[in-house]
Amino acid sequence: MPLSGVRDVAPLLADAPEMADLKTEPAELRGAEILHVMYEIASGEMLDLLPKALHPTIPPTMTFWVMHCPESEVGPFTLAQVRIGSRAGVRPRGWPTAAYCDSARAGEWLSKRWGFPCREGQAKLRHLHDRVAATVQAGGSEILRVELVDPQPISGADVQYTASMHLARVPLADGVKPRLVQVDPEFTFHKAERGRPQLHGFDRAAWSAEGVNPVYAVSATYAVADVTLPRIRYVMHPDLPAMQGTETVG
Amino acid sequence: MKFGIFYEISVPRPWENGIEKTVYDRCLEQLRLADELGFDQVWAVEHHFLEEYSHCSAPEIFLTACAMSTKKIRVGHGIAVCVPQFNHPVRLAERAAVLDIVSNGRLEFGTGRSATWTELGGFQASPDDTKKTWDEFTRVIPKMWTQERFGYEGRAFSMPERAVLPKPVQKPHPPMWVAVTSPGTELDAADRGMGSLGLTFGGFAEQERKVNEYRRRIAVCEPVGAFVNNQVNTVNFLFCHEDLEEGVKTGRRLSGTFQYMAAQLLAAREAYPAASYPSLGLLPALRQEASGPGDPSGAPEGLAIGNPDRIADQIRKWESVGVDRINFLLNCLETVPQEQVLASMRLFASEVMPQFDPDCPAAQARRGQGAAAGVR
Repeated sequence: MPLSGVRDVAPLLADAPEMADLKTEPAELRGAEILHVMYEIASGEMLDLLPKALHPTIPPTMTFWVMHCPESEVGPFTLAQVRIGSRAGVRPRGWPTAAYCDSARAGEWLSKRWGFPCREGQAKLRHLHDRVAATVQAGGSEILRVELVDPQPISGADVQYTASMHLARVPLADGVKPRLVQVDPEFTFHKAERGRPQLHGFDRAAWSAEGVNPVYAVSATYAVADVTLPRIRYVMHPDLPAMQGTETVG
Repeated sequence: MKFGIFYEISVPRPWENGIEKTVYDRCLEQLRLADELGFDQVWAVEHHFLEEYSHCSAPEIFLTACAMSTKKIRVGHGIAVCVPQFNHPVRLAERAAVLDIVSNGRLEFGTGRSATWTELGGFQASPDDTKKTWDEFTRVIPKMWTQERFGYEGRAFSMPERAVLPKPVQKPHPPMWVAVTSPGTELDAADRGMGSLGLTFGGFAEQERKVNEYRRRIAVCEPVGAFVNNQVNTVNFLFCHEDLEEGVKTGRRLSGTFQYMAAQLLAAREAYPAASYPSLGLLPALRQEASGPGDPSGAPEGLAIGNPDRIADQIRKWESVGVDRINFLLNCLETVPQEQVLASMRLFASEVMPQFDPDCPAAQARRGQGAAAGVR
């Protein structure tokens, strides 16, 4: 059977968000701009990156995900994430090592309702004619600079973004427990472009991504879409395979 | 209706203590038995880098071993990947011709283009180009087989005139097929006069619609080769057991393991958005079908698992929607012990195959017994 992660999530729980309630109402983010950059990563430490519940993709991958939302119920914000490519059972999933949001209000909203591992930082996304550029600053230094170079239009129907699994402390019948919260947004695409990825700066420590070594550029896409952050439907025990550890919400 | 077996050759970790050789030896034992039992064809895929899921990277060599140890069964070299970073078209034509010679004219030639980033990325092939190179390769390979000398100036490759040797035994050339995973590829097959080698299962209704459209299109096709191969081939799982419950239980374990392993791979579309990969290929179809709710026996629609009666019933339905051939996956990650795989094949051949193939060995043996009883 496929390889599984070996990461003990206990040390991560202190920084993991605590969700007040799993009965989250959906929220729409209209006109969101998304930069999604995928790299293959070195396989040496791939199993150390993932919780036991998740399998690494074959080959191991990571994505840089930066989303600028001009409007939401908590105002505009830009969210940046680093995700490790994985599978929960047979389902494609991203495992975020960390996220930065430029709005404290939005960061709290995303953390409490969907378990995004948000920290405060300045994330920027710029769409230019020759490139789409994203930068993230935190603690006074730049911790990410990534670009899509030479954008070419493609159909939004060709774009597929995977759902993510967020480690959070969630209220269950027998108390607050650590779980991986499945967040599978819906996308209605208005525009999509594809180009070459270029990574100019990546502070692994700032992203809790020590051991993540991007070695081979795969693809970069930029999209404008209406994004619906969903009702939470499933959570997973972080140490159990999906077949045994998945719980339905509500 | 003809029956075959289909090899991905999956190998469970850890890859030590000779497990790869053990799995290959078991596959060869299965196909020798398949030849004796009257299975019509054996197919072996070309896959690279697909950990555990498929260790079948040199199918032409495996199929040569098959040809050397069997008498009748046809050898399906497919899917030969028609992407220049994987294979030069001359090498594809040459290897296929040799396989046709050593098998004494038993080659079926399947073509495709790979559906995973795992493979395409490994060879640094662009997903944008694979449909184009597949189209180009399938036009030139039959010419390499049938013309004494072949020269070409094309998009993916060019070459001065040379004699591509040897030539196949089958004249004008072996039957050609297209692997069908993405929606619409069956129409590509039809328009080019090639057989449809379906690799996703689909339900009966979906398959009937596709077969009807395939037949309509191929009737007016412009064949890439010297003849039209108007046939629809599908893939399925096989586990046949006297006890329905046991057959379904083991068959579901087999199909579930396969789809679980397939899902771990990185589909081309997931990694690299491109119009040339409109679906995730094998993955979602397998996922849905292999884990579907199924009929009252608990087996998903169309899967050839259970007892002989249930399997025969499913095959009749495939036959009724226009399928000509079914190829069976027999194992995955050795989840079914070899003795059970062989017993399943024997039971299928004795109880199910004669209902569809009056010339199979079991049917002939029964007629012989009946005639002998009549003489007495």
